[in-house]
Amino acid sequence: MTESLIGFAAVLVLVLLRMPIAFAMGLVGMVGYMIETSYRGAISMVGRLIIDTSQDYGLSVVPLFVLMGLLVNKSGISRELYQVSNAFLGHLRGGLAMATVVACGGFAAICGSSLATAATMSKVAMPEMRKYGYADSLSTASIAAGGTLGILIPPSVILVIYGLLTETSIGKLFIAGIVPGIMGILFYLLAVRFTVARNPDAGPAGPRTDWAGRITALKGVWAVLLLFGLVIGGLYGALDFWPLHLAFSPTEAAGMGAAGAFLIALARGSLSFAALREVLSETATTTASLFSVLIGAWVFSNFVNIAGLPEALQGGVTSMGLSPWMVMAMIVLIYVVLGCVFESLSMLLLTVPIFFPLVTGLGFDPVWFGIIVVVVTEISLITPPVGLNVFILKGVVGDVSTGTIFRGVTPFWVVDILRLLLLLAIPGLVLFLPSFL
Amino acid sequence: AETKVTVSTWLPPTHPINTQMLQGLIDMMGEATGGEITGELKHGLAPPPAQMDLVMDGAADMTIIFHGYQPGRFVGTKLIEIPGYEGNAEAASVAYWRVHEAHLAQLNEHRGVKLVALNTHGPGQIHSNKTVESLADLQGLKTRLGGGVSADVGAELGLIGIQVPAPKVYETLSSGAADAVAMNIGERTGFKLNEVAKNVYEMPGGFYRGSFAVLMSQEKFDSLPADVQKALDDNVFGEPASRMMGAVWDSHDAKARAATEATPDNRIVTASAEDQAAFAEMATRIQAKILAELAEAGVDAEAARAMVIQDMAAN
Amino acid sequence: MPRILNLVFRLPVALASLALFLLMAMTFADVILRSAFNAPIEAATELTRLLMALIVFSALPMISFQGHHIAVDLLDGLFARFRLERARDVAISLMCGGMLFWPANRMIDLAERARSYGDQTEYLNIPTYYIGWFIAISAFVTAAALILRGGALALGRDPEQMVRHD
Ligand code: NA
Ligand code: NA
Repeated sequence: MTESLIGFAAVLVLVLLRMPIAFAMGLVGMVGYMIETSYRGAISMVGRLIIDTSQDYGLSVVPLFVLMGLLVNKSGISRELYQVSNAFLGHLRGGLAMATVVACGGFAAICGSSLATAATMSKVAMPEMRKYGYADSLSTASIAAGGTLGILIPPSVILVIYGLLTETSIGKLFIAGIVPGIMGILFYLLAVRFTVARNPDAGPAGPRTDWAGRITALKGVWAVLLLFGLVIGGLYGALDFWPLHLAFSPTEAAGMGAAGAFLIALARGSLSFAALREVLSETATTTASLFSVLIGAWVFSNFVNIAGLPEALQGGVTSMGLSPWMVMAMIVLIYVVLGCVFESLSMLLLTVPIFFPLVTGLGFDPVWFGIIVVVVTEISLITPPVGLNVFILKGVVGDVSTGTIFRGVTPFWVVDILRLLLLLAIPGLVLFLPSFL
Repeated sequence: AETKVTVSTWLPPTHPINTQMLQGLIDMMGEATGGEITGELKHGLAPPPAQMDLVMDGAADMTIIFHGYQPGRFVGTKLIEIPGYEGNAEAASVAYWRVHEAHLAQLNEHRGVKLVALNTHGPGQIHSNKTVESLADLQGLKTRLGGGVSADVGAELGLIGIQVPAPKVYETLSSGAADAVAMNIGERTGFKLNEVAKNVYEMPGGFYRGSFAVLMSQEKFDSLPADVQKALDDNVFGEPASRMMGAVWDSHDAKARAATEATPDNRIVTASAEDQAAFAEMATRIQAKILAELAEAGVDAEAARAMVIQDMAAN
Repeated sequence: MPRILNLVFRLPVALASLALFLLMAMTFADVILRSAFNAPIEAATELTRLLMALIVFSALPMISFQGHHIAVDLLDGLFARFRLERARDVAISLMCGGMLFWPANRMIDLAERARSYGDQTEYLNIPTYYIGWFIAISAFVTAAALILRGGALALGRDPEQMVRHD
């Protein structure tokens, strides 16, 4: 236990010194493993994990879903999504912010990453909201918060990695994310209403679109529906067009999604060779940095594993006589605290190998726990001081302070906590849909 | 002084390889050495093909490997996987150890580590979504095959190989991305095949078997006191451990068979006499191919196969 | 110098992009062939593995040189106030580069071991030590890239600007 805690502290210090998270976890894990076993054992373990992780078949979903998101982005789908939402909601007070939230939810259905969702939507929605005199705090916050839905509404890179780490069905995890994701959209709409109720100037009503305009705008949605249907339908083997029965593994779903996005972008003439090159190399570099973190995290988790942390935690819970729900409450609290500092993937990789055996040992459902982990991870993305989605907004928009964004995010953060409590109290909200699989 | 042995495993925590075989081995080691040796399972340190390297370099002290996951490295171990042996996993595992001593050890395929035990799971059968009543029904079935000889058998049967890691078998079958999976019947419980592969097509003696080895770090073994080494070598390692593990496979198979029989919509279809004869012919071709590989590696392959058959019959 | 850097970092990224495109195309083809013609690409799984290693380890040197690893900038303000940013970044880069040396070296041994055992892929019988060597070399290049980055930062150069982006 002591060794593991020292290890955690060392990782934290190195990370705060701005050592890349992959290297901080890898270094501490390697040295720790060396102390627990031997020099040769530790170095070999690290070497093998570098070789094997990069060739893990299951992990090939990661580059493919990232590629799909970037291709979709290039094909102008994000703009159309926003226009549709706007046509229906724009005339309400705070309507453009509401439209932003809904468009984020729609984009999340084809993009596996929260950061990408936030980055994409900020380019589309921010200028529009500025044009209609929205307060920067509300417009940036609606994008930062709406963007977090990227990892909850399927497809989701984070759910994929949780599934691979814990051997939980990725299909079940995906479908389990749908209801909490829709709840997220509704709750964020409430947060927008609350904001404009307190300060009507923050979100003036935009122009109303007539029904003809709305129907026209709806035509822009087909590509999203098609891709979402292809990926999710294929995962469930529900695409049965005789004689073609399409059923995919998660990797194949990601590959089909990426290929579908590629063909759509090609058909729309929105993909030049240069743009394709840019998308591919961005996906490749993102993949390399994600895999580095994965390897580092695996090395670190091997260290705490060999140092006996999982057994110590299990023993601690038993000897202290904690009830399962007390343990769950503590774990959620730890996540919220860690979420202040850590970025989503690192947080997941650092904690899941340790908490998962404990949680399932106490009888909690692995799919439900996965969704809870993703929801707390989402919250971490907008929790100060390190909220990556907030930083993304700051990066894209530029002339707005992170303080302003964090202030605007507060109501969104509050409804997030409410949603988390609801999901904790009523596991059925998560487990209802996957129970039909 | 008490020595703790770290046993690395990559199988799901509730799998009998963990709960009965490796734990059983730890208990046997403790008993044989008067409590000198204790052990602890460590899950998920590395993927299956990395396990031998982990033990060779001392990142863990012991592990279990499935030979089929490292194509090219193991040839001799295919001997026990070829179809055509009659008998349960215990008899096969004991025969496997003996034939290893007599014929296979000279290939030195486990060089760099200490070989603790060898075993094979029970007869491998075909579990499918679709109804399979004859060999002909297997044609074109998209089937998840393990490594090793099962791939050769699949080709001979006209199966279409789908490669997915074992933990993904359930969702691959439930989505329909695969129609069937080749496994010993015992795996039906762990992989919940009673829900997604309701049909078992059974060939007496199995379509193939699957070869496993338990390995120990040579350095770790050498570091033990001489009397402990001797106690382990005499009473645990080799035939006793192999027999114990084979027996676990058998009880695993028996339980799953009972569960399958008790599940109303599950069905076990045993191959008809004609189909058995037809498969025996295919088996001859597979035998010839694998035995040729063994012979090329320098084993008296025919004699080795004869020894397994004889030993299993005598057990 | 810039020409060499371009060659060492950007060429592999182009290779990674190509591998990624192939991965997408092959997955698509595999699913269609399997669903429509009951004839999947049997070697798809091992080709996927191979392409993944190509993607990750071709892109790694570039992102390491340019500092695009995921990191936390929580204390940036503090370091800036005491003008310690550069010293910190140089030290961290050198440390990261240094620590990679041992595993990289070990991976050569592991690849050679795989060669001595005759390890190969299941369908295409590709010797696995090829890929082991490739990963090990890429790890060495990554280590060198990080050390180079440390040096560049120490001299007040911006690694981001030293390699062309287009
Ligand atoms: Na998503
Ligand atoms: Na945070």
